[in-house]
This record gives sequence, structure tokens and C-alpha cells, in this order.
Amino acid sequence: MHIPDNYLSPSTCMVMGAAMLPVWTVAVSKVKTEATKAKLPMIGIGAAFSFLLMMFNIPLPGGTTGHAIGGTLLAILLGPYAACIAITVTLFIQALLFGDGGILSFAANSFNMAFIASFLGYFIYKFIKDRAKTAKGEYLGIIVGSYVGLNMAALATAIEFGIQPLLFTNAEGLPLYSPYPLSVSIPAMMIPHLLVAGVIEALFTVAIYSFIKKVSPDTIFEGTKHKIHPIYGLLVTLICLTPLGLLASGTAWGEWGADEIKNVVSGGKQLGFTPAGMKNGFSFNAILPDYSVTGLPEIAGYLLSAVAGVAIMMIIFKIISSFHKKNSREIPKS
Amino acid sequence: MPDWLVKNQPYSPPPDKDQFINKSILSILRILSKLKSQSGYQMDKFQVNAALKVAFTFLLVILLSLSTSYTFILVVDVYLLVVLSLMEGKEIVKILSVSLAMAIFTFMILLPNVVLGNTYTSMMITLKVLSTLIAVNILSHSTRWHSITSALRRFGVPNIFILVLDITIKYISMLGDFSLNMLYSLKLRSVGRNNNKYASMAGISGTMFIKSKEMAEDMYAAMECRGFTGEYTVHNKWKWSMADLLYILKTVAIITAFLYWGRI
Amino acid sequence: MIDLKEVSYSYEGTIALKNINLHIEKGEAVALLGANGTGKSTLLKLLNGLLSPNQGVYRFNHQEITPKKLKDPIFSKKFHQKIGFVFQNSDTQLFCPDVYDEIAFGPRQMGMNESEVAKRVNDCLDLLGIQSFKHRQPYHLSGGEKRKVAIACVLALNPEVLILDEPMNGLDPRTQRWLVDFLATLNQAGKTVITSTHNLDLVQELSKRAILFDESHGIAADLPTETLLEKIDLLKRVNLVDESYPFH
Repeated sequence: MHIPDNYLSPSTCMVMGAAMLPVWTVAVSKVKTEATKAKLPMIGIGAAFSFLLMMFNIPLPGGTTGHAIGGTLLAILLGPYAACIAITVTLFIQALLFGDGGILSFAANSFNMAFIASFLGYFIYKFIKDRAKTAKGEYLGIIVGSYVGLNMAALATAIEFGIQPLLFTNAEGLPLYSPYPLSVSIPAMMIPHLLVAGVIEALFTVAIYSFIKKVSPDTIFEGTKHKIHPIYGLLVTLICLTPLGLLASGTAWGEWGADEIKNVVSGGKQLGFTPAGMKNGFSFNAILPDYSVTGLPEIAGYLLSAVAGVAIMMIIFKIISSFHKKNSREIPKS
Repeated sequence: MPDWLVKNQPYSPPPDKDQFINKSILSILRILSKLKSQSGYQMDKFQVNAALKVAFTFLLVILLSLSTSYTFILVVDVYLLVVLSLMEGKEIVKILSVSLAMAIFTFMILLPNVVLGNTYTSMMITLKVLSTLIAVNILSHSTRWHSITSALRRFGVPNIFILVLDITIKYISMLGDFSLNMLYSLKLRSVGRNNNKYASMAGISGTMFIKSKEMAEDMYAAMECRGFTGEYTVHNKWKWSMADLLYILKTVAIITAFLYWGRI
Repeated sequence: MIDLKEVSYSYEGTIALKNINLHIEKGEAVALLGANGTGKSTLLKLLNGLLSPNQGVYRFNHQEITPKKLKDPIFSKKFHQKIGFVFQNSDTQLFCPDVYDEIAFGPRQMGMNESEVAKRVNDCLDLLGIQSFKHRQPYHLSGGEKRKVAIACVLALNPEVLILDEPMNGLDPRTQRWLVDFLATLNQAGKTVITSTHNLDLVQELSKRAILFDESHGIAADLPTETLLEKIDLLKRVNLVDESYPFH
């Protein structure tokens, strides 16, 4: 679910950032007031935990594997605010240091995984738990919370993808970012999440929770004593929808669908092979055809090709020699 | 001594599908080896200030994302190739393999779009994804992470956030090592059919959580003993060097290229 | 039983083992000695098939152990059943909610029915004298108790070889003594016992044979324990002890 850069437009990313800013602010101040004594290290170490949890492969029927996100789990264990910050930190480290998930799309990823998956999941869990009041009710809350939390996060991701071709096209009407409309992106994201990923998330969350509850129940976040009013659920849903509303304002909702794809298709056919690319002076025949790139002065194009050539040769040479070194290291002379 | 223990155990294991253990071990190992290779870096390569590098990489990522010009992206790619070619072979392999894998994945996702006739978007996005990943990976492979996190101070990121980042990175390696050993132990004791694989993985994750909570409390106690009051200052000296100046020139060149061909 | 020929191992360019030749007979007790970071733990991981040598051959029961063979789950499980490994940090070895389940984990995997499992678990609990905390959570036991549970859950697999990575670490003197005696009993019962340790006082009682690692990650000496302990200059040279040794 980590969205890389360039799938979303920079303006979408900015809107997501604007939506996350108040969430982060509230979360930080809440953590300062309500968390336990070890709050600061716990957020860092909780982030490390969430990072590693995503590395764990869990068996799927048929012998393949998948992994959980742990948003709702972390919210239940640490409290939703601390969980939100911990997952944000995890996503930040993944984006900046491990190249997993984009830098610009960091806010969008935080919105989906640190905000929706943890808050919505937690509120559903708490809502059910407060009303059922039995151990079974608690586990039901965990299952429903983590399943819905993950799927809503996936839905948010799908919507972010799906509105790109509606909002961001170039002069020729070709999409600049993720090209699939909502009618494609939603089923593509939701079917695997509803059927597989959500189920893993729920099962794994329950399994970990019951282990911790058995072994060390006092480490689990207590939460507020009073019941969560349904109005909060509505509020969370509304907050979830806000950026969507911002993004979609000015676009008629009924427009997306089959027509959209058709437009793209006919647009592509109508304009032939490489419409926008040709206009910008790029030919698909070769990356740098005839040592000149249209739009560049001939000399500059030649230079660019030459530099690229030298760099590529050096890279190939170094890769080969790095393998050679590795082999020779394995046979130390005794 | 019970007699079963004195006798040899005749045993033929039943088949079971438990590749998840090996896969988890591999992904943790990959993380740990990346963290470990960090300690091997000399002071930052080319001696450029980390704050400049981080700023430049962010700028590059933004410009790449904004640009609609193939020429600009190609110019950036050639620049990235040059930087890459100056790095060590081992690092080049790591950077390229990660970046290419994601670019190929992106291309596969966009393949239906190509079939539909829209080659422009697919090529553009794939190329942008590749360039962005190479740029970010060059940053993370050529700069010590501690320099990167403390460089964030210059962009107004609060000290406390940087402290949390540093704690996280440190504990990814500590908890990672711990969980790796747990996975090893699960592997060694998985000598037959495991009828409750979720319980085993949950046991490992749960133990890891309880452990992390304990570590956090210990760490807090230790911080308090050393007089931590909630303030954390990031120290880094800033001295202009020739390399920094060249680096800024390079930044200006990229921006000029963007303005010339970029066409938002 | 265990046979290493010219085995070397390096990780990310760092050498951890260099040119190791080692032969261990069935029923032997062997102690591995060496300063921190000389490769003892790496060797133990290698013997367990968690790592594979970059160079050289590792044979177990005359069969070469290769990464390719270990990829075959049936072969690898059979192999892991024969070699039990007690980790340095017992915390990492225990992941079940209670002690009974922890020890039953192996036998259940081997397809025994619950009454056979119960017998085996109870035998192990008795053997280690930990019957009283059968239903406690391993996580909250003391260091010594955790070590005993870890040993019990490895023994429940009935391995032919028992490998222990610094098992005396973090134990009080009484438990250390108990452990040494316990390992000696296991050895007398026919188990091959390989132990890495820093405890020079107890190593003589642990095994008759001692292998000393030096800081170039090779074997500096392979001698009867008694003889090795007398070579104080050698122990100093490999930085296992300092000038003040022996302490009187």
C-alpha cells in the first residue's frame, strides 16, 4: 500500500499534507498529555516495532505469504495517537532511507496508513468493545476494526489513484500521473484487500493481541473509560472524506466511468503513437537517437549522449568488478 | 533420564508449507545488512554538507514530479548516471536493483494502459519512478543516516522528532536482531508440521512488542538518570567548503534545465 | 559425526571464520573458547545450518550439508531435529504463551498424539526440575528459569547433538554449577554436547576437549581442556585473559 512518487500529482500530495498537518498536531499534543512515562522512547521503539512487523511474512492458504500493516493493532496497543505518530515515523524512514514509498507521497501514505487504518480501526474496535462488554465482544471489535481499518485505507489509496486522470491531464488530455480512473482503481485495490489482505490483517491482529493479553496484559494501552459516542465515528468518516472533497471539487462525480476510459483510449488512438512525447521532442526509437535530442542544441545533445555513455560504461565496469571482488574474497589465500 | 532421551529418534518429517519463516528471515536480514553497511561509510562522500544533499534530493524529486518534459527527465537521468558511476560497484548494484525492481513493477501495472494505446503516460511515469528512486537511493547510500536526520533540523523539523527518528533507527537494528534470532529459533524447532502458524508468528511479534515496551521504559529511565528534560539539541557544525559551492552550482543548473524544458 | 574441512565464512566483507578444520565424534563433549567476536557464535550457527560456509565443506553424519540441500524442507527438518540449539539469549527462543506449550511445540510438530506429547513434556519438566512453573508464561520467568525452559524445549525434540551458545551467561553460580552437571549427565547418556563459554573455572568439568579461537577467526588450539588451561601464554596471546590471570 506504499504509494511511490509520481503516481500522485504534487498538488494531491500537498492536499494530503494539509489534511495530515492538523492530525499530526493533535496527535503530538495528545501524546504529550495522555501517554505513559516512557512516551518518547516508546514512540521511537514503537515505530521500530511497526517497521519490523511489516517485514514479517505470514502464511496464506496455498503456501504463499503476505504481510500485515498493523495500523489498528498498534492503535490498540499504544493508543491511536501514539500509533499515528509511530507509523508516521516508520513511513518517513521507509521513504527517506529505504526508498520504500515516495517522499512527496509520504503525506498521502501517512493519511492512509497512519491516520485511517489506525484511527478508524481503533474507533470501531472501541465502539464495539464498549457495547459488547465481553471478551468475545472485544475480539469481535478487533476483527471488525482491523478489517475495516485496512480496507478503508485501501479504499482511500484507490480513490487517490482514481482521481488522478480526472484532475491532471496534459494539453492533449493524456493523464500525467496514475492513469486509471476510479472505475478501475477501486476494484483493482479493493478486491485483493477485501478478500485476502484484510483477512490476514484481522487474523494476525487478533493473534498478536491475544498473545500479549495472555502474557503481559498490563502493557496494553488502557484508553478512555467512557464510551465512544457514535458521533465520533461520523466525525472520523467526515475527516476521511475532506481531502477527497477538496480534490474532487470542481469535478462532476458522475463523469467517471466507462466514458473516461473510452476518452483515454480514443485520445490515445486519435493522437497516434506518441503524441505528447513527440511534441516535446522525444522519439521512442532510441533513448538518445542520432546523438541528438530535439529541443536541445545539437552539440548539447551530443555531449549529453557522450556523458551518459561514459557513465554507463563505468557503471557496468564497476558492477562487474564488484562481483569479481566478491568471488575473490570468498577464496582467501591461506 | 527418561528412556526416550537415551534412544535415537527415528523420524521422517511430514511435509508442510512454511516458506513464510525463510521469507521473513530474508527480509529482516536485508534490513539489518543495510543498517550494518551504514556503519562502514566514511565521513560523507564528496564532503558535501548533508543538509544540502537532502535539500537537493527533495528539490529533484519535486521537479521530476512536476515536469512534463522528456528532455528534462533525460538530463536528470544522465546526471544521476554520472553520480552513480562515481560510486562503488557494490553500491551501484544495490541502488540499481532496488530502483529497477520498482520501475519494472510500475511498468507492469501500467501495461494495460500501454495496450490501450497510451504509451506516453506509462513511459513517463515509469521513467520518473526510476529517476526518483535512484536519486533517493543515492542519498541514502552515500550519506550517513545520522547526518541525514540531523540535517532535517535545518528545515525546521523539531529536535524532538529527530530524536525519535534516531531512536527508531537504532531500535530497528536492535529489535531486528532480536526478532531475527526468534525467527531462527522458530525455524530450528519447526521440525515437522505446524498446525498453528499464526500463533507462532503472533508469539514472535507479541514477544517483540513486550520486549520493545520494556526497552522503552529502560531507555526512559536511563535518559532521566542522565538528566534528560525533554530538550534535545542537534549539534552540527556548518562550514562552507568548495564542494558545497559546486553542489549549489549543480542545483542551479538543474533548476535552469527545469525552467528551460520543464514546462509545468 | 561432525566434520568441517577448510571452512571459511565472511559476511558483507567481514571475515567471521577462517579456514576451520574440526572433527567431532559422536558422544563427545567439546567446549569452544575464545575472546568476544572471534567467531564462536558464527561457527555454532553454521553447525546448525543457519549459515552456510562461503568456502569449505561441512559434513554431518557423512552427509555434506549444502544450502541447496537445506532448501529441501524434508531434509532440512530432519537435520534440525538431529541438532538442538540453545540460543545465547533465551528470550529469543521462547515465543509461546505458556511453558507447557513451549516444550510441546516440537513434539507436536513431529506428529505425536497429545498423550505422548504430555509424557514427553512432563519428562522434560522433571529432568530440569521446573515442574512447578509448567503453566507460567515464559516471558516473565527469571533468567535461569528461562534458560532451563529453553533447554527443555530443545531436549523435547530428542536431538543427537546439543549445541549451547554461552549457556552460563547471566546465571548465578549455583545455577551455573547445576547446568554443568546437567550437561555432563546428558553427555554420559550418549548425547554429543558442544558448548561455547567464557567460564574458565567450569570449562574443565564441562568437557575434556577444548577448542580455542584466536582473533584472526581461526582455531589456535585443539587440546585436552586441562592442557589448554595450563598454556597461560597462549590464552593471553589470543586475548582471552589479561596479565592478572590466574587471579591469585
